[in-house]
Amino acid sequence: MMNILLLEDLPQIRAWLSSLVMQVFPDAQIAEAARVHDALGLVSAIKFDLALVDLGLPDGSGVDVVAALREHQPETQSVVVTIHDDDEHLFPALQAGAFGYILKEQARELIVEQLQRISQGEPPLSPSIARRVMAYFAAKSKPQPMSASSVVPLVSLTERETEVLLRVAKGYTLPEIGVQLTLSRHTIADYVKQIYRKLNVSSRAEAALEAQRMGLFGR
Amino acid sequence: MRHKRTLSRGPRAAGVLHNPRPMQRACHPFTARRPGRGPVAASLAWLRHCVLPLLLGMHVAAAGAAPTQSVRVHAAQAVVSDSASFPAEAVPQVVDLPDDWSLSRPGSNGPVWYRVGFTTPGPQELGELLALYIENVCTNLEVYLNGQLLHRGGRMHEPITQNCNHPQLIGLPAGLIAAGTNMLDIKVVGHELARVSSRHRAGGLSALAIGPHSQLEPVYARQRALNVTVPQAVSATLLLMGGFMFVLGWMNRRESHLAYFGALSVGWALVESRLWLRDLPFDNAVSELLLCAMLPLLALACIQFLLRYAQYRSRLLDIALPLQCLVVPASLLLAGPERLHLLASFWYAALALQTLAAAAFYLRTEYHARTRSFWPMAMLLGIACVALLVEYLSQHLGVRSDWTLVARIATPVMMVLVGLRLLQQQGRALQVAEQSNAQLEQRIREATSEIERNFAQLAELRVEKVTERERKRIAADLHDDLGAKLLTIVHTSESERISTLAREALEEMRLSVRGLTGKPVQLIDAMGDWRAEVVSRLRQAGIEADWQTPADELVQTLSARAFVQTTRILRESVSNVIKHSGASHCSVGCSIVDGDLQILVHDNGQGIPMEVDGRLDRGHGMASMKQRAKQLQGQCLVESGPGYGTVIRLTLPLNRATEPA
Repeated sequence: MMNILLLEDLPQIRAWLSSLVMQVFPDAQIAEAARVHDALGLVSAIKFDLALVDLGLPDGSGVDVVAALREHQPETQSVVVTIHDDDEHLFPALQAGAFGYILKEQARELIVEQLQRISQGEPPLSPSIARRVMAYFAAKSKPQPMSASSVVPLVSLTERETEVLLRVAKGYTLPEIGVQLTLSRHTIADYVKQIYRKLNVSSRAEAALEAQRMGLFGR
Repeated sequence: MRHKRTLSRGPRAAGVLHNPRPMQRACHPFTARRPGRGPVAASLAWLRHCVLPLLLGMHVAAAGAAPTQSVRVHAAQAVVSDSASFPAEAVPQVVDLPDDWSLSRPGSNGPVWYRVGFTTPGPQELGELLALYIENVCTNLEVYLNGQLLHRGGRMHEPITQNCNHPQLIGLPAGLIAAGTNMLDIKVVGHELARVSSRHRAGGLSALAIGPHSQLEPVYARQRALNVTVPQAVSATLLLMGGFMFVLGWMNRRESHLAYFGALSVGWALVESRLWLRDLPFDNAVSELLLCAMLPLLALACIQFLLRYAQYRSRLLDIALPLQCLVVPASLLLAGPERLHLLASFWYAALALQTLAAAAFYLRTEYHARTRSFWPMAMLLGIACVALLVEYLSQHLGVRSDWTLVARIATPVMMVLVGLRLLQQQGRALQVAEQSNAQLEQRIREATSEIERNFAQLAELRVEKVTERERKRIAADLHDDLGAKLLTIVHTSESERISTLAREALEEMRLSVRGLTGKPVQLIDAMGDWRAEVVSRLRQAGIEADWQTPADELVQTLSARAFVQTTRILRESVSNVIKHSGASHCSVGCSIVDGDLQILVHDNGQGIPMEVDGRLDRGHGMASMKQRAKQLQGQCLVESGPGYGTVIRLTLPLNRATEPA
């Protein structure tokens, strides 16, 4: 049996999403929450396999729930479900450990397909997100005043991962890139997953380092 | 005639005095050069026992002969008397000249009559104006020739005109000179040594010289220049410089040494004026007292100058020195005029020692500080000290030579040099101050402009921030309220048409928000986004998609608004292709043509029938596409034909499209 967390503040949309999830995973157990606080309570109580998280919520951002899941249940796949398609909103969620995103207003069939893909380990990646990821790692690879590498393992992208990102940024779809690089669809998906993972690992290390510098850790 | 010539040849001749020594070798008038030690010893020895009147033979040029030589008179008859003419009845005493009263008649204030006789061949034969030259006479004199008053040096009674430092040249009118013996009477008034502070102002008469005016005149002029003109010039210089420095130091209290130096210079100029200022409205006692009262003031100024210049300040001295300025005149007053010289000499020595000590202190400080001004200042002070010493010795020993005069000039000259040095330092300090001032101003200007710049940036940033925040708020509101409602419609509406409309509205809203909040987009990034959307949409619709972008690097940017509008146009075009064209293939090409962005959407569908072109426009959204292109100063052309498909040609000027709308 599969445990799924559904965090969405609008009741109608929540119901709609719930029915959609039931369609994809007929034997799933769905725990619904309308607020960040409730969701965090559920996270500490139940072990989830999948979490669908809205970002803009009455009492905070879904990013916190994504981060909490990443912290306490690393195996859980977090998926952001939002009406924000811009990387300004999505990128923090991805850094916090989200494994993909779904735009809410899309047609039901499309969302079903995406959800299936994500659960099978094929997260989506838009050009603007790809650019953000590249910019993030490019900034990290620059020599930093304080030697972060000595404290945290330096996370960097491989040549292949960068190649994939570059092509996504140019607007090529993942299947197209697979053809171009003569790689299977699964390999490409693995690259994308790896990119998301590295983004999260690097962000977490960065956050830890930042916290240390601020004096929250240490002593 | 021959006889006289013979007579004049040597000092051996009775009654004839010929002084072979050059006049320029002036010696002290009243003490040194006792007769009997010089080459004229023989004649003077004779003169001493000579019967009166004392005769003086002169070698004069007769009938165009060679010019006569002047003679120096080293002895005279002298009578102490205040009578109107040489007291013939009194028994005169023969004195050596120079006659220093402090030695020959201590305690006497004169007046003393001197008589000298000389013989000439008569004015006609003489052919040249004769003159009497007196190097020193103190304090004043009257000269009579054969009983006739020839010259008076000024007032003969208190306040007596001070001629001590003024050489005298008195022409002897030919009309008064008789052939043969002539009588020259000189009445001298003066003061005993005890009543004057300086030996140079004690009563007495130097040796006389009688000779042709033309010969004595240069000697007189030289002596006068040294004794009178130079001190005058020095006084004027010191007065000007001192006054200037005083004001400079007074205005700038941190440079108090300048004020003291100025006071010293002015004071010195005043004291120096006693050398050439003959008539004062006070009698001797008062003027001597005033002069002596000046000395402690000078010492004060000098000592304070040296100490302050060495950056040293003593509270004790600040009190003691002014006190001394009161003590000195008070002690002189108490002692009375009879003991003036004694006390003045004491004070003079005491003040000189104080000043020397201050100079030594100053030089030691400078030496330890290793300043560059040590050597010049040491030299100047050394010379001044030596000059003071010479002056002191000449006072004390009563020697008066050229060295005395040189020393007397050297001190003020050194002072002028010190003054120049101080001015130079001051000038340099001023220059440095001005430079640093200018630098400071420059720095302030820079800092100010920097602050202004920063402030402008901050203000701009603030405005941007506020605007940004406001835009974000609006965007968030749109998302949260409108977005949520549209979303609900999308997923709850029974009607597929309403659902689709709501979805489109949601997309529109998102684009609007993006146009509202977005930053300029790199053209290359925009193309990536467009490609991803267009290709995936076409593929989903089962239409073969072909996308072409320029191979070269794109550096242009699009404003958020232009990006959003272009996205809409492109989206609409693709929607048309998917919904209406029935095409199996669609190619989209982006290119830069003459600085314009050109997007070509070409499908192989059925095209838009000509006759229904206008009617189709609304449904196909052609009008809104054209409208949007127009807003961006571009154009959107639609070409269509049966079997040809549809070509939508969008042209946007990049340079203007990138401007914020």
